[in-house]
Amino acid sequence: MSLRPQRQGTSLDAFRDPLNNFDPPPYLDEMERLLAEDTVQAMVSTPIRTVGPNTEVDDVLRIMVENDIACVLVTRGNRLEGIFSERDVLVKVAERYDQVKTDPISRFMTANPACVHETDSPAKAINIMAVGGFRHVPILDADDRVVGLLGPRRVTRYLQDVIRRAAQS
Amino acid sequence: MGLRTDILNQPVADLPLRPLVSVPTGTRVRQAMVKMREAKLGCAVVVDAEGRPLGKFTERRLMSALLQSSRNLDAPVDLFMFGQDDCVTESDPIIRMIEKMDSRKLRFVVVVDAQGKAIALTGQKGVMEFVADHFPRHVKVQEMHAKLHMDEREGA
Repeated sequence: MSLRPQRQGTSLDAFRDPLNNFDPPPYLDEMERLLAEDTVQAMVSTPIRTVGPNTEVDDVLRIMVENDIACVLVTRGNRLEGIFSERDVLVKVAERYDQVKTDPISRFMTANPACVHETDSPAKAINIMAVGGFRHVPILDADDRVVGLLGPRRVTRYLQDVIRRAAQS
Repeated sequence: MGLRTDILNQPVADLPLRPLVSVPTGTRVRQAMVKMREAKLGCAVVVDAEGRPLGKFTERRLMSALLQSSRNLDAPVDLFMFGQDDCVTESDPIIRMIEKMDSRKLRFVVVVDAQGKAIALTGQKGVMEFVADHFPRHVKVQEMHAKLHMDEREGA
């Protein structure tokens, strides 16, 4: 005799899993799956260039040109304060360069930039960049420390890599 | 169709193309800069009298020019342009453009018609918008800078 209480007319065979009609996200091909299920760490570029908020504009431009980079992150300790990019040079600095070249970069940076976290998917990061119009997006860890920077060149390289991986699978 | 198939087969014409900021040869850097700023575009294309691209002037070149001397703002933009052949046609597949951008480290690519006349601009941003269109549900909805975890446990 079974000790298990049984309701009238039910059995384990009749159990209906409420998730049995759950469909996994549909991907039209392997590339879409990789972009949706990889993490953004797969595309992060390191090392990143950081400067302090009091660094002079002239010095920041020199760093960007000498290192052939499009932006620097402005940090205080481990904390991200802003981002300064080529677009900021065009819009805020170039016209009056001689007057502002010794000013601190914090006057011209974009404060509190849009960020993604290292556990986000590449698809999500690319969406932020495309929809928000951000060319560079800092990558943060769970404690909001900067661990990388995602730029369009990295995206292009990653897409080529994913196209190859998708072809092999 | 999936993203990979689309990138391999669809033409550049299917990318989001941006109106061109074109300047004739001899234009001052300052004038090109104003046009780029108005168009919110990081690149001006220097064209000949027939509208064929002679080179590109980008924000990166502007920085180099400024570091040399702010007097370069009144120099002709031709002195700082580069990349005369960084072009694709509207019928080229998107993958060819991606390969070109990667191998030459390009941010912008000029789209030319059959006669070689510059008609539009695209590049890394266009590719990202194309990819993002395939992932309409992958939007980061949390507030920017919202912490993913609490600093302290809730409750006792």
